[in-house]
Formats: sequence, C-alpha cells, structure tokens
Amino acid sequence: MELTDNVLEIRDLVKDFPSVRAVNRVSFDIKRNTVHCLVGENGAGKSTLIKILTGATTRSGGSILLNGEAYTPHSTRDAKQHGISTLFQELNVVDQLTVEENLTLGMEDTTLGFLRKTDKINTMVNVMKSLEPSITPRQLVSTLSVAKKQIVEIAKAVATESDIIIMDEPTAAISESEIKRLFAIIKSLREKNVTVIYISHRLDEIFELGDYVTVMRDGKHIDTKPVSEIKDRSELVKMMIGKTVFEQYTPKEGECKDAILQVCNLSNHKLRDISFEVHEGEIIGFYGLVGAGKTELARAIYGVDPYEGEILFRGKKLPPFPDKVIAAGIALVPEERRSQGLFTILTIRGNVPVMNMRKISRNGFINAGQERKVTLDYIDKLRISTSSMEKEASKLSGGNQQKVVLAKCLFADADLLMLDEPTRGIDVGAKSEIYGIIRQLSKEGKSIMIFSSELPEVVNICDTIYLLYDGRMKATLRNGCDIDSEKILHIVTGGNVTSAADYRGSGDGGE
Amino acid sequence: MNSAKEYTLRTQLERSNAVRSNIKKLYIYVVLVLIVAVFSVVKLGQVEFFGRGHFLSPDSIINLLRSAVPILTLSGAFTLLMISGYIDLSVGSAMSLSAVVFALMILNGFPFIFALPITLVLGVAFGFINGLLVMKLRITPVIATLVTLNLFKGIALLIVPHGLSAIKGSAARPMPAWINDYARTEVVLGLPWAFFVAVLIIAVLIIIQKRTILGKYAAAIGGNRTAAELSGINAVKLVWLLYIIVGFFAALAGMARASYMSLGDPLSGDGMELDCIIAVLLGGTAFSGGEGSVAKTIVGALIIVCLTTGLMTVIPAFWQTMAKGSVLIAAVVLNHLLVREKASA
Amino acid sequence: MIGGRMSNESFITLFMIGVLVVLFGVSCVIVPRFYLPRNMINLLTNNWYIIMLGIGVTFLLITGNFDMSVGGVIAMTGVLSVWFCQDATASQNALAVGLGLPYGVAIALALLCAMGIGAINAFFIARLKVPSIIITLGTMMIARGVAQIVAQGAQRNTSLPDVFGVLGGLTIPGMSVKLSVLVMAVLIVAAFVFEKKTVAGRRTYLIGANSVAARLSGVNVRRHLTSLFIISSLLAGITGILLSSEFKAGGASRAMGYEFDALVISLLGGVSIAGGFGSVLGMFVGAVILSVVTSAATGLLLSPDWQFTIKGVVTFIAILAQRFALDKRKG
Repeated sequence: MELTDNVLEIRDLVKDFPSVRAVNRVSFDIKRNTVHCLVGENGAGKSTLIKILTGATTRSGGSILLNGEAYTPHSTRDAKQHGISTLFQELNVVDQLTVEENLTLGMEDTTLGFLRKTDKINTMVNVMKSLEPSITPRQLVSTLSVAKKQIVEIAKAVATESDIIIMDEPTAAISESEIKRLFAIIKSLREKNVTVIYISHRLDEIFELGDYVTVMRDGKHIDTKPVSEIKDRSELVKMMIGKTVFEQYTPKEGECKDAILQVCNLSNHKLRDISFEVHEGEIIGFYGLVGAGKTELARAIYGVDPYEGEILFRGKKLPPFPDKVIAAGIALVPEERRSQGLFTILTIRGNVPVMNMRKISRNGFINAGQERKVTLDYIDKLRISTSSMEKEASKLSGGNQQKVVLAKCLFADADLLMLDEPTRGIDVGAKSEIYGIIRQLSKEGKSIMIFSSELPEVVNICDTIYLLYDGRMKATLRNGCDIDSEKILHIVTGGNVTSAADYRGSGDGGE
Repeated sequence: MNSAKEYTLRTQLERSNAVRSNIKKLYIYVVLVLIVAVFSVVKLGQVEFFGRGHFLSPDSIINLLRSAVPILTLSGAFTLLMISGYIDLSVGSAMSLSAVVFALMILNGFPFIFALPITLVLGVAFGFINGLLVMKLRITPVIATLVTLNLFKGIALLIVPHGLSAIKGSAARPMPAWINDYARTEVVLGLPWAFFVAVLIIAVLIIIQKRTILGKYAAAIGGNRTAAELSGINAVKLVWLLYIIVGFFAALAGMARASYMSLGDPLSGDGMELDCIIAVLLGGTAFSGGEGSVAKTIVGALIIVCLTTGLMTVIPAFWQTMAKGSVLIAAVVLNHLLVREKASA
Repeated sequence: MIGGRMSNESFITLFMIGVLVVLFGVSCVIVPRFYLPRNMINLLTNNWYIIMLGIGVTFLLITGNFDMSVGGVIAMTGVLSVWFCQDATASQNALAVGLGLPYGVAIALALLCAMGIGAINAFFIARLKVPSIIITLGTMMIARGVAQIVAQGAQRNTSLPDVFGVLGGLTIPGMSVKLSVLVMAVLIVAAFVFEKKTVAGRRTYLIGANSVAARLSGVNVRRHLTSLFIISSLLAGITGILLSSEFKAGGASRAMGYEFDALVISLLGGVSIAGGFGSVLGMFVGAVILSVVTSAATGLLLSPDWQFTIKGVVTFIAILAQRFALDKRKG
C-alpha cells in the first residue's frame, strides 16, 4: 500500500452537543512524520476533536481519512489498533510491573502460557533505550518519575508501530530539564515513522517543537501553517483570540475595604511562592490555562492539600481542614462537579442544603418544610430547570448540575466564595445569570475568588485579575483599564513579563 | 522549595525507600525464624531439645507439616486471586463441602480414581459460580463470596445425615482405611503424598506467578485495570479463571482434610479463608492488588501453622480465637506499614 | 410537579414489602398453622437481637463499610457483664468467681469495653483506611476471644446477684412482650428518625454517596465514621447485656453468625454496599422476610441446617431482584 503524504485528512468534521456545536466543520490535513501542534483557548474545540480521533466520542458529521482509508473508531482500544495512541493525563502504566513488562503488556510471546524471551522484547527495549537510555528495563515503573513514565508510554506506542501519537499537555507535570529531554525524544520520533499531534497552551513549545500548527477557535478551524511561516508569538496569539468581545465591566463603587484573606508565600508541589490579598466585597479572578495551578491554589486554601506558607482569614490563621475552613466562612465550588461537587445519587433537595444544615435544622433535627423551601428558592433563583426537586442529580444536564453545586455553596452563607471553573459547560444564558448573582453577592459585601481558564469571564466581573503560569503568579491586572488580551495570553502561555505596561494593560489594548 | 532542599529530600526518600525494600524482602523470614525459636525454647524446662514433646522433634515437625497441607495447597492460588485485586471468602466452605462429598463417595465404595476427579470438578464448579457472581453479575466480591460461603456450607450440612456430625464410618459401615492414603499414610520421611503434592503445587504456582502470562496479567489487572484492558487484556475472563483455580485447590484441600481425618466434616474448613488472608497479608500482598508473592504467602502460611500448633501446647484451647484475632490485626498493621497501597480513585 | 416523585429508596422498601407479603402469603398456604396471631407476632419480634445489630450494620453499610465484629461483641459483653458482677469470694470453681462489682457498674464497664472494640475498628478503618471487612473480622475474633478466655470456653452463670436476670426477663404488663423487644422497637424508631430527620443521619448518606464531595462540603468524615463504629459496637453491647440477662449466663459461643445475619437482613432490605442508599426500615422488612422464610422452613419440618443455604439463596435473589427493579424503574 502506498503511503499517502497525509497521515490524517479531516473534512468538514462536526460534533454537536445538546446545547452547543463543539466542532464546526473543521477541515485540515496532518502530514506524515511531522510534529503537528494543535492550539486554541479553552472551549476552542481541541479536546473534542481529539476525543473524536481517539474514539472516545462519535462525530456528528464529516469524515476522517487515516492513511487514505475511512476511519471511524468505536473506542480508545479500537483507535489504538488502528495505530493512534494517546498519552493521557492519567498515565496508563502499571506501577507494580517493570518497564519491560509494561512495554510488552498485551503483546507477549508465549509458549503454553510461559513468557518467552524473544527478540521482540529486545526490539522494544531498544526503542525504549533509544528514547531514554537512563531507564533500565528491569526497574519497577513505580520508581520512575512522571516524565519517565510518559517516556515508557511513548516507547510502547512507538514499538507497537503506532502511526500517530497524540500528546495532550504532556509538559504539565514535569520539570524543565525533563521537558528538554521529552522534546528531543519527540523530535526523533519523526525518523521512526511516527506523527505526533501535540496539544499545548505553552506557545514557546510550539515554536521549539512544531513543524506545523493548527489553530482552532470557537469550534472552528482558523488556520494550519508551517511553524516556520509564523513570525512570532503575537501572530499566533492573534489567531487564537480573534475578535473577542468583552462585556462592559462596571468598576467598583466605593473604597476597597479591609483585607479578608491574606495569602503569603504559598508553596506546595505545584505552587511557587504565591502571595495576594482579597478584600471584602472584592471579586478576584485567577486566570491561567491548563496546569497553571488554579485548582491547586483553591485546594490549598481550602485545606485539602498540604502547603507551606501562611494563610490568614480575618487576621487569624486558617486551619488546613475543609470542615474548619467552611466553618470559618469560606466555601468552594470544586472543579469537577460530578466527582467532587455533587452527590449524584441524591436528589436536588438532598444536595442543596448540605453545607449549612444548621440553617434548616434545630437541635440537630431537620425541618423538612424549610429544607423544601430553601431548595425551591434556589431552584427559582438560579433557574434550575427541573420538573421536581426530587429529581436525582445525576439526571440533570451539566449546566443544571453546576447550578445545584452553586446553590449548595451559596447556601453556605460564606463570606468568601471560591469558584473553580464556575461556568464550564454552561450555556450563554445561564452564564450571564450566574455572573449577575456573583455581582449581587459582591454588592452585599461578600468576597469572591474565581479560578477560570476563560478570559472573557474573568474580565467580565473581576475587579482584580491575577495571571498564573506554571504555579507562579506572573502578573496582576486592575480591571477597568483597557484589557490587552494579547498581552495576557502572552503571559499565561509562558511569555515573559517585560514591562510595567504589561501589568496595567496598555492604552491601545483590546480589540 | 529550592533545589538544594529538593535534593536532600529526594536522597533521604531514596535511602528510606531502600531500607524499606530490604525490610520488605526479609522480615517474613525473620518472623518465621523467631516464632520457631520461641516455641523451641518455651518448654525447655520440661523437655529436651529435639526430644519427645519438643517443638522441633521429628514427630512434632511431621505433625505440623501434615496439618499444614490444606493451607499449603490453597494459599498459593488464593494469593494469585488477591494479586488481581479480588477476594474469595468462600474457600473454607468450599473446602468443607468437598471434604463431605469426597468422604461420602469413599464411604459408598467409590474408588479413588472416580472420587478424585469428581471432587476436583466440584471445586471448578464452585469457582465458576464465584466468578459468575463477581465478574459477570458484578456483585461486590465480599458480598458475593459471603453468599456462596453460606450456600456451600448449607449444602454440606444438608448432605450429612441428621444426627451425625460428619460423614464418617460406623460399625455397620466402616470408612475404608485407604482413605488415609492421600493425606495421612506415611510415604517418605514420615510425610504423606498430600504433602508432596502441596509442595509441587506451590512450586508450580510460584512459576506461574513469576514466569507466565497468567501471573503477569493478574498483577496488571490488580495494578491498573484500565491500563491492562487498554492493552487488550480481558479482565473478566482472566479473573474468572482465577476464581476457578481457587475453587479447584479448595476442593483438593478439602479432600486432603477428609483423607487425614477419615471423615467429611461440614465445618472442617471454617476459618480457612481467614488463615489464607492472614498468610497473604503477612506475605506482603497489597490488599488492593497489583503486587504480591506466592512464595512469601507460603512462608506466612507456615507462620500461621507454627503459631497454631505451637500455641496449642502452650495455651489452653479457649485462647485460640483471641490469638488468631491478634495475629490478624498484627498482620494488618505489618502489611500497612510495609506495603504501599495504590491510591484510590 | 415539584415535590412529587417517590425516591428510589422508598421504591425499594415498598418493593421488599411486596416481596414480604407474597412470601407470607405463600407460607400461609403451604405451611400448616402458619396463620396464627401468635406466630405473626413472633415473626416480628423473635429476632429482635439481629435487628438491634442491623441498625448499626445498616448505617455502616450506607457509608460503604462492613461491621462483622458485632457477634463477637455480644458474646464479649455477655460474658464480661456476668464476670464483673459475679461474687468475688474465692471458690473451687474458677468460673464461679468474679469481680464482685455492683450490677450497674458491671454493665457500664462491659458497655465501655464494647465501645472500645468500636474505637479499634474506627482507628483502623477511618484513620488508617484499612478495608473494613478485614479489620472487623479481626476484632470479631478478639472480642470473641475475650469471651472465650473469661468464660474458659464455656459459660459463666453462677453466683450472680438477683438483679441480673431482671432486664432480660422483664415484660410489659398485660402483653407478653419482652423489654428487649421494646428496646428494639424504640431504637428502630429512633434510628429511622435519625436517618430521615437528623443532620447526622443525613451526613451518613453523604459520606456513602460521595465521600470526597462530603469532605469538601464540610463533613468531618473521620469523626463521623468513628461515631458510627462506636455506636454499632454499643448497640451490640446492649444486645449482649440483654441476652445474658435473659439467659442469666454469659457464654463464649453466643451469637455465632449473628453478624452475617445482620448483614443479610440489611441486604434484603435494599441497603447497597455501593453506599448512600438504604434504610433501617428496609432492614426491618428484611428481618421480617428472613423470619418468615426461616419460620416457614421450620414449619415445613426442614432441619435447622437448611438455614445457611436459605440465607445464601435468599440474599442472592434479593440482590438481583433489587437491581432488576431499579433498572426497570430507571427505564
């Protein structure tokens, strides 16, 4: 069979979800044996596109040609058998087995069940060694660092003759020197007849690694170009953000009040020396892309993860336990609503009052009437669409589920509300409702911290915006001046903060 | 955290890991030696070393090894199952039921070459049922095997005629003497066939665990079932097979028990599952699966047998349950300190 | 229709009540003399002790944990309560000599020991995160071991103060209902109220439904689980005291297998080990179902050895039937 020039040809690919078209007639080619980067902001459609390629979801329309033949995978295993391997965030190696055993897992040569030492093992080990000689085949995978585990997965994909290896934010969890090593390996893959699809927010990596880059925005394909033809970062950034219209931000009236939360030199496995203050009635935004450390920051403050540094709430040290943090007056809407925020087998009524049972109970006894009233109140206030408050939470749509989680946290009457990706997966109408609620809360004197990877959201309501990248706080913006989204994107993708002008947003900014 | 601090932390961690893994490899042998030593000296005032009545006298050792036959037969396969992350609490009752059926057949004149395969097929059936409940019907292993525990026990009790405590010989119809040939009659060094069969089984299972695809896949499924299935492993079929193997050896162990005692006691296997669990925990198998060692489990089994037989001579019978419970808790603590359980989702 | 639809839990409870009615009906037909008022009352009351255990076991199952130590705790508190208040005067028979404490002190102390077992369970399970099935089997053996040691493998039933037999023998004037049954009834109602109407009860479900979300919502999971394990052991202790009072003896082999029975009635009642689902009311229905089935078996002159098989089969069918019913409901 003649090998086509393009390993993958995508034509008019469409993916519809109930409330949104995530992939909108995307067409482009991926040339064989190249490193092809895929960039775009959150919600651009990259993840959905990848899910279609790996068989995790089915397309709604369009076609894909893999090596010139029609390609419709039914599952990740199916995709793998067709030659498309993926490096997921959750590493798919067995820690308790050795490197060699992982490489050969599922493909062993056996005689009557006995594992045989054949050339196949040597071949695979050699592939492994050519990628990373410091890994010995007999060592347990559990002794390897995350970076080396990734390399083992890459080696397995290469040795199983994958045509394409998809890597989704592989550098999120590894160190600088490990990144360099990884890049050398990725570049060498081209000689091994492998095409790499590389997804990353870190634009410097694109320039260092990529042969081609495809930019997506709002589900649409913007452009596919050789990296050599792109002048500089800002051109790439311009393609990524296009014309983003920011809603009018209304500056805060009145003086900034006392600091309610003070964080000093917060560090942990992900975060590096973070310091900031939140004042009463203020809305603070933390903006950064995947792996920036937003969730880690929220979790550290909430007492879920250990940390070094000092956190003062109303001048007193905040105890590092979630129940004590909530009692002190802080509530968190977690990032993963289904697995962390919601009790999916309970009803809406079972979910909403959970963080402040004291308010609907007396002497430990729940007042059913009050419980119902409160639930109905929030169903109304947040416009949760359901026929009954007795509906099981698992049966609600994503947007409604998020509203339930929000209701739960609002009911906690916290003075400081932390929202981690509050409007992820929510339609436009509901989004503005939520923003309205947030603004109202701020007027009432509550403080809000929003952790988000959607810039328009953060610009819309936050008084102060902190930019995060790689666990560090890179810049602070005071909202109200013109927001230069290009400069912001530049910073959160790893660019350097060069001048004071970057801090404030320049006069010529925005659109 | 600056890099110098990171470096010292990392070397400290590596050093403690190295110490940890050395302890891991050797502690169980140390424990066994200690226990044997303790029982050897405990009655020195009254008996001579290696003399009659001493823990290490030939009679005593033979007795010990003979009574160890069932657990030695069974715990290897049990380990493989636990490595894959699954458990079988019904092995004791499966053992009893097999003993009952075997004794019944012998009593009724079946020759050995019939009774043996029928019993073993029965064991396969037990394992098949367990596998069906756990893997196909996806009932939690603990509950599923508690159900079969009661089922097998119930059937065993029903087979034994009313008024009798076991299937045994009577004046009118004696149990053929050759029933003892498997597990009691001395063959070599005073030990019966069953012992050598058990040794063979252990050797085979050690090889299976370390050198065959069954052992590797069991560890893969226990370690990371998603990764295993992504690599094409059929977890349902494989664990089902492990349950069948456990059932098979439970039947063989039951047969050995019946052969040794010349009767089929429907309660003879009670508590075997606990013994197996203790042996497995002592042997350093992670409760959630992924790692473990048949060889070390066998050492753990020997520890249990030594403890049981040794304690019998030292403490009154009614201290046994307390002793066993304490051993289980101690094994759990030991296992907790030495085995790093994989993080739960 | 806000506020309408019946919850899955109520559905399953009703479903099992339906099963109970069917089983009862069948039994009345095939078992002679089943339909007697005395028999029916017995069905509800004669396994009061299993139901007492079932309360603790059900709540722990809802959180996703087992408690298999309860049978051993019954034996332990039974024997200890006797030993503590047996006459302290020396005697030939070691089993006749106790610590001579006043009755009230004796039972208080015995209950304290029971709670100690619960605390050990909680330590390993809530703190060290050891699987509950293993630890509670171990503490079951330790508790039973204490009973066996103190009773030297047999029983302690001599030189007891007269007041010892009072609690177990007390009946409600007018009816022949024992105090124990009354205690069970009161506790069941209290447990039901706890489960449906109290904050603490609600937290139990939260932990079972999603322990991560529970923690992030402010539930102190470790403390709550510790309380539940101690309560479960306390209930077992109370049961032990009542039983030993009734028999005026503390035996080492009392309550063998009761922990499994408690598990069975919870499963029959629709409690799911997956967590977050189930009700003590369901457990009660499950207890009655078990009663009906075992009683019918006795009535059909089946030997008591049938109980193991019956329990196994009935549990199995119940699990599958409940799953089937719920799947059908979800459509």
